[in-house]
Amino acid sequence: MREPATDWRVTVKRRTIVAAVALGLWAIGIELRLVDLQVIARADLMARAERQQLRTIAAPAKRGDILDRRGRVLATSVDADTIYAVPSDISDHAAVVARLCDALVDCKDRERQGLADRLRRQKNFAYVRRQVSPDEARRVADLNLEGIGFLKESRRFYPKRELGAHLLGYVGLDNNGLGGIEFAYEKQIRGKDGKVQIHTDARRRAFSRFERPSDVPTGGATFELTIDEYVQHIAERELHAGVVENRAAGGSAIVMNPRTGEILAMANEPTFNPNAYRDFPETHQRNRAVQDLYEPGSTFKVVTASAAVDENVMPIDTLIDTSPGVIRVGGDVIDEYGRHNYGVLSFVDVIVKSSNVGAVKIGFQVGVSRLSQYVQRFGFGQPISSDFPGESPGIVWDPAKWTDRALASVSMGYQVGVTPLQMVAAVSSIANGGELVEPRVVRAMYRDNRRYAVRPKVLRRTVSRGTAAVMTTIMEQVVTRGTAKLARVPGYTVAGKTGTASKLIGGRYSGSENNVSFVGFLPSRDPVVALIVVIDAPHSGSNSGGMVSAPIFQRIAEGTLRYLGVAPTVDPAPPVLAARRNPSAPFSTANPDPVAIVSFVHDGPPGTIPDLRGMSARDAMRKLAMLGLSGHVTGDGFVVFQEPAAGASIEEGAVCRLVLERTQPVRPARATQP
Amino acid sequence: MAEAFEYAVKKDVRNNPIVREMDQARQRELWSLVGIAGFVVLVLLFSAWQHFELLRHGYQVEQMQKERASEEDAARQLRLEIETLRSPKRIEALALQQLHLVAPTRNEAIVIERVLPADPPDGSVIARR
Repeated sequence: MREPATDWRVTVKRRTIVAAVALGLWAIGIELRLVDLQVIARADLMARAERQQLRTIAAPAKRGDILDRRGRVLATSVDADTIYAVPSDISDHAAVVARLCDALVDCKDRERQGLADRLRRQKNFAYVRRQVSPDEARRVADLNLEGIGFLKESRRFYPKRELGAHLLGYVGLDNNGLGGIEFAYEKQIRGKDGKVQIHTDARRRAFSRFERPSDVPTGGATFELTIDEYVQHIAERELHAGVVENRAAGGSAIVMNPRTGEILAMANEPTFNPNAYRDFPETHQRNRAVQDLYEPGSTFKVVTASAAVDENVMPIDTLIDTSPGVIRVGGDVIDEYGRHNYGVLSFVDVIVKSSNVGAVKIGFQVGVSRLSQYVQRFGFGQPISSDFPGESPGIVWDPAKWTDRALASVSMGYQVGVTPLQMVAAVSSIANGGELVEPRVVRAMYRDNRRYAVRPKVLRRTVSRGTAAVMTTIMEQVVTRGTAKLARVPGYTVAGKTGTASKLIGGRYSGSENNVSFVGFLPSRDPVVALIVVIDAPHSGSNSGGMVSAPIFQRIAEGTLRYLGVAPTVDPAPPVLAARRNPSAPFSTANPDPVAIVSFVHDGPPGTIPDLRGMSARDAMRKLAMLGLSGHVTGDGFVVFQEPAAGASIEEGAVCRLVLERTQPVRPARATQP
Repeated sequence: MAEAFEYAVKKDVRNNPIVREMDQARQRELWSLVGIAGFVVLVLLFSAWQHFELLRHGYQVEQMQKERASEEDAARQLRLEIETLRSPKRIEALALQQLHLVAPTRNEAIVIERVLPADPPDGSVIARR
């Protein structure tokens, strides 16, 4: 008998219930697993995910550049490849070392051995060579060696090589400043390293990054120096030539603006290449101009004479009897250079002829107390510039201990140790009318797109204006008719003083080794530069300041003045006049015959607006930015009008209005006789 | 005796023509549920799309950062090369040795100063040609 037809419904119903229960259990299981993963184990899983995905990488700060006063790069950093090895991944160490050394070319035995030792240690990381050149990196990359990789490191380059090496200094492998400006301003130039957190996927590709405000890297400040690259080159070239020509042990030369204290050049011989400082002995790396002391000899008579004039102890028409060319002081005999007997000399001629006897007599008239005051006022016996942490303060005896012999010695520049920088700063005070200005080599600092200029700093007054004028006249005569005829620069009046001092070797003054020097400024009546040249132990026959240092001074000064465009002060060429044709309508493009605009670009005196006429808008704006000024430009082409005019004094934050036109800038015309 | 033969008369009930009345309320409820579910699905899809777009942009940004850093480094390398070539010592050597130039003498280098005529004072008469 057949079962009733309604049974299939029951069956279906039962099966449906079973299926539903099974599905339900499966769904519940999934839900429970989700709850377990997303609620119970959330913290642990999040931590694991962060460990896998989140990486913190160092964001190194870019070291700031060092520029000269015209914005030309003297030091900069670029990324260089560093080659590393994973020794545990290298099977045949010897073969890899051999192939690497072949590719690196200048791999010496010591380096080869050291590399082999490092690879043998089976660690996970070993440097092969750091901060290699692009060619070296390419050659090693072409080898395709297993276990060899590359990473980027910042490397410091000095593109001008030896130029200004002692001033700039150098950095070590870890980019720490080790000398010069790199060391003195390490904290500002280095900047602050930062950190970046990046999220990576399973293939270690980054897809997001996060920087906390406190971890953002701060780029290093860029420093603008007072140095002019070309003046530095002139000074180094002539100093090197002079040292070689006179077979000297070394030398220093400093070119300085006597009004502002800006150092335009500081050269030392011997020098070194900061790109490869390890290849040079440490003696080559000394900045002699600020670290080495020397007895200045007769150049110091300027201080003695200044004291006498300023204190009115001796009118300059005083006659001084220097015969018989010797003077006894405290049992010692002091004689003239070359054993001359000048007889009766005027005060002026004592300096012009550089009489030791005369200087001693002047010194005694001034006295210990006053002379020591002037020695201190002129900046001797103390560091004079904050830009040189390694600067030697010099040696000046305690005045309380000055005997008559000491007074006599100091009067003529012995028993006092000075640096070339101190000497040129002292003479600069005479050049600028009696103010001792702090010499400096940093002109401005750029940080966060702002320029922070360093202002000139007057340390103190050394002598009165009248005394400075008198000393200038005397020092002019040293050059025109005295011991420094070889320092004459045609077309310019020069004021200066020679110095020749025996070197102290083994506690005794040498009869053959001298420090010879010449310090001066020009044009003497409106000085643009003060200059000192000090030569250590020349061996060229006549080893005196007038014969050795003065010619070097002359060559440096002549080249510098020509480069700076300083017009001759003696028999200058007739001026070339350029006038507008139509004074009422300044500049109109409708003018069919545009007037020749004689324009040349020069910086002008410091603290004044330079002549921007003839420049393109970009160049003019760049120059204004370097001076901390803004520009408002109208028109296009070249600058034909500027307000304030060239030569006006700079007011901080001032806006300079520039009018541009598309007139062809005209070459400066040659001077013609009227 | 003949077998009993049972039979039943089954009334043939034809239900086919009977159409069940549509439950409008339930229908509306059903469509709203579909709409809500569809909206939820769209939201979830949009959220997922956003997430993956963010990831994709993140990759692009990282790639562009790398390219930017690479270009900046290339620019610095070129700047370094320019400055090296501009070295005064190098240029002077080229000028002297290769081009056989010489430094100008005092008579060959003339410094020209621009002389601006002063403005005439008030009340003056200036003679002109």
